[in-house]
Amino acid sequence: MSQASFHERRSAERMRDPKFRAEYERARSEIEQIDSVVRSLDQLRESTGMSKTDLARRIGRNPSSIRRLFTAASNPELRLVVQIANDLDADIIVVPRRKKRDRLKEPKRASATAA
Amino acid sequence: MAWQIEYYKHRDGSAPAVEFLDECPTKIDAQFNAVLDAVAAAPPPQFSGGGKWEAMHGSMGGYYEIRLTGPGREQFRLFCLLENAAPAELRRRGLKAPSIVVINGMRKPHRTTFTDRDYRKHVRALGEDHLANIPRRLAQ
Repeated sequence: MSQASFHERRSAERMRDPKFRAEYERARSEIEQIDSVVRSLDQLRESTGMSKTDLARRIGRNPSSIRRLFTAASNPELRLVVQIANDLDADIIVVPRRKKRDRLKEPKRASATAA
Repeated sequence: MAWQIEYYKHRDGSAPAVEFLDECPTKIDAQFNAVLDAVAAAPPPQFSGGGKWEAMHGSMGGYYEIRLTGPGREQFRLFCLLENAAPAELRRRGLKAPSIVVINGMRKPHRTTFTDRDYRKHVRALGEDHLANIPRRLAQ
């Protein structure tokens, strides 16, 4: 049985604080969404057989900016992400979560019922 | 294979990064943890960290930083080294797996900069001490 690392033990301890846990989960969700967009674009690029240098040339960017983007060496600039998506014939789409929308509607329904 | 997250331990027994995290606002501590866990799970060099994990350059080349903004736009930074090698070499260093080693953190008001002296004293000196230790001295 592997022993929990210092980081795992500290995280477990901190997670007992509801404020910490809520912020951790919010941040992980945000990070995963951003990472997913960038990785999807990189996979799409690879599937077309296009090198990072080719992609940079096609969208008029420095090859190092594309390398940095796909290796987490820099903060992703939304404009660059959209340029890459356009060149790969893809769209960046925001999909509202049904649960969240329903939750936002709930107070209105509740107050209408109460009235 | 997921990477491990380790914390550098000073020869006096303190772990500067842990002390830094303990003094951060709860939300910032949670965000640092979230970025570290996301990067470790990716793992490097695949894109991860939601843009908050960045390679540093110049005199800080070889280090990675997590960049967060706190209340009042205060800036929080966590500085890390990556350690990856063949399994035998990792064992020699006292590491169970490729690792993100958190060295230290620093904070500063918005629109101010860290000096090279800050980086040298609070990050590079500790990072050099870390790399000089075989096996590595880590928070347990």
